[in-house]
Amino acid sequence: MFRKKLTFAAIAFCFAFTGIAARAQDAGALLDLLVRKKVISDQEAEEVRAELTKEAASTAAGKWKLSTPINEIELYGDARMRYEYRGGRTASNDLTNPNDWLERHRQRYRLRIGLRGTLADDWFFGIRLETSQSNRSTNVTFGGDSSNGPFSKQDDGINVGQAYLGYKGFPDFTLTAGRMPNPLVTTPLLWDDDINPEGLAQQWKHTFTFNIGGGAAAAPSYSKEGYSKDGKGVVAPPAAEPFKLKLDVFANFAQFVYDDTNPENPIGPTPTNPDHDLFMLAWQVGARLTFPNNVYIQLAPTLYNYSGSGDSFNVPFQGDFTDTNQTGINNLLVFDMPVEIGWKLWELPMRIFGDFAVNFDADDRAARAGHPGSGGQRYAYEAGLGIGQLKAKRDWEIRAWWQHTEQFALDPNLVDSDIFDSRVNMQGVAVKAGYALADAIIFNLTWAYGWRSNGNFGTGGVGDIGINPLDQYQIFQADLNVKF
Amino acid sequence: MKIKYLAVGCALVAATMSSANADRLVIKGSDTLGAKLVPQLAEQFKAQHSGTTFDIAAEGSTTGIAAIIDGTAEIGMSSRRAKTSEVGAAAAKGKHMKPTIVAYDGIAVIVNSANPIKGLTKKQVEQIFTGDVTDWSAVGGSGGKISIYTRNTSSGTYSDFKELAMKKRDYAGGSQKMAGNEQIAAEVGKNPNGVGYVGMAYTKAGGVKVMPIDGVTPSIKTVQGHTYSYWRPTFYYTNGEPSGLAKEFLDFTIGPGGQKIVAQVGFVPIK
Repeated sequence: MFRKKLTFAAIAFCFAFTGIAARAQDAGALLDLLVRKKVISDQEAEEVRAELTKEAASTAAGKWKLSTPINEIELYGDARMRYEYRGGRTASNDLTNPNDWLERHRQRYRLRIGLRGTLADDWFFGIRLETSQSNRSTNVTFGGDSSNGPFSKQDDGINVGQAYLGYKGFPDFTLTAGRMPNPLVTTPLLWDDDINPEGLAQQWKHTFTFNIGGGAAAAPSYSKEGYSKDGKGVVAPPAAEPFKLKLDVFANFAQFVYDDTNPENPIGPTPTNPDHDLFMLAWQVGARLTFPNNVYIQLAPTLYNYSGSGDSFNVPFQGDFTDTNQTGINNLLVFDMPVEIGWKLWELPMRIFGDFAVNFDADDRAARAGHPGSGGQRYAYEAGLGIGQLKAKRDWEIRAWWQHTEQFALDPNLVDSDIFDSRVNMQGVAVKAGYALADAIIFNLTWAYGWRSNGNFGTGGVGDIGINPLDQYQIFQADLNVKF
Repeated sequence: MKIKYLAVGCALVAATMSSANADRLVIKGSDTLGAKLVPQLAEQFKAQHSGTTFDIAAEGSTTGIAAIIDGTAEIGMSSRRAKTSEVGAAAAKGKHMKPTIVAYDGIAVIVNSANPIKGLTKKQVEQIFTGDVTDWSAVGGSGGKISIYTRNTSSGTYSDFKELAMKKRDYAGGSQKMAGNEQIAAEVGKNPNGVGYVGMAYTKAGGVKVMPIDGVTPSIKTVQGHTYSYWRPTFYYTNGEPSGLAKEFLDFTIGPGGQKIVAQVGFVPIK
């Protein structure tokens, strides 16, 4: 009995001081060893195991029951409080209110909470619940639904932001289906990072490592401190650092269901040109080359195309006046090239990032928008510098970039909703700065100022500032984020 | 006076009922233990304790552990350890799941005696039962679609085998779930492409042969020495320290007389 108590105490002590919940399963190997060494009997081991199981069952972890196929599960999420100013100025030739500012001050919050995990036989899954029904935002505005009385909960809904299932059973491949985190390497120039596309994705990634010279131990050098006659006190100098190159090659393919047609075949005569589901297709190949000392360069050329018509976005994009044909996705064959080059200077991570996109079908898109001959408005690009990182308490980061998007270059339904208000035909500067008040608490400031890129066109897209053209635009955000 | 007689009568009835309950032992749980071993132990025990009756229900280890939690049995037979969730549920009801090892068992992998295969590795066993391989030719056999027979999900052997042999992976989709060891042995004995697992006590069935695993055959020596990979303890679970008839029967089971029967039935004695 004393031996059993001693064993139990010893095992409990080990778990307590290693910070692991005391579970009988964890103690199994140790108990088996003690039995094999004949320190305790099988029966004594079972009694200790039963005690530990009882202890484990009383902990929070022990009460949380997971189904057998789950190998691993992670609860994660974030909450954010935000103050935002957003304003847009009408054009100087506006007939009723020239050079007038439409401004909004908002206090907002968002909550995202998710579970992701791995299942038996190389499957994985993820679900994430989010506030807001918007495709490009998870924010809820305080007092935004006051028509239902103060502090109404009408717009404080919880929505499924992500729900996906995947398979990693083939080496280097990840196959995903559902409403998923964006599987492509992107920037906010093309994609708002709140968008979780729906459909299928196939990802492949392989890492090659090259050793190029170096690595040989240098000849011992005998300093005054290191020398000894018997050689025992000699400390060899460190080996020369081998020059290693790591090359990550990846390919991402996606078939997103952009718009479901309902119905394809209505009652009555079959349509001459029936609508079909609208798919967005993406082909991306890329590479990230990492040199010693955290120097890297990454390229991810991508081609986007659309197939089918759907029934919500099949009106040709026009883009000039408020709420008329701002969302059409006709004539978009977009090549995109996000680039990032990073390095460390005095242990401070730095990076230059950029993105360049061109719509090969801009001539037709411009013509169908009523601007024949304006297909030259086909380019979008951004370039910026980032310094620092936000990984741990007292980390800081600042990013600044220039962004330019022409009227017929991109899908206005996907571009970032903050910079610049979900619009194309805009250009300007943006700055983001962050500081980690604690490992999980990040304070962020964002400011952007933009203006109409080309005065001959509107600023296509639907944003929070309900004027078009958006002749000038400014946004300021102060965020307090809690990550868990 | 009438009230006096009535009181005496009630006391006598109560004493009779109490005596009847004290001589009746309810045991529920594992089919592995309850199909052969425990009934034989009960017969021997009854021969030594006249007037004792047993109520034995062998419907799987899960039912035995649940019976201790619910208080519907004095002894819960189990061929697996109680899960954390079960121990937690017991604690919530003020019960303490106390395990007592009553015998060891080796889970034997059996194939039809006409199968030319001579043995399997642990990896091959995992591949067969998870469905990674579906034809005998993939594991050195002469070909033919593998038919897998397993216990049902309430069986301790079902979960033990998953843990011991399958790295907790799921059974192959087409595997057939059987109610007990005898049914598995019978089906494998009839099917030339069959494979299943049974407790050591059930390996004498006709038409089956036991597969050495990594060259080791389940036996008293290999199980007691824990050198056979798929060995396991089998348990009586009680609510805390047993008392009364339950303690007497438990002591008998792990004593010399009971362990002799353990060996006779085909299990491995604890000493």
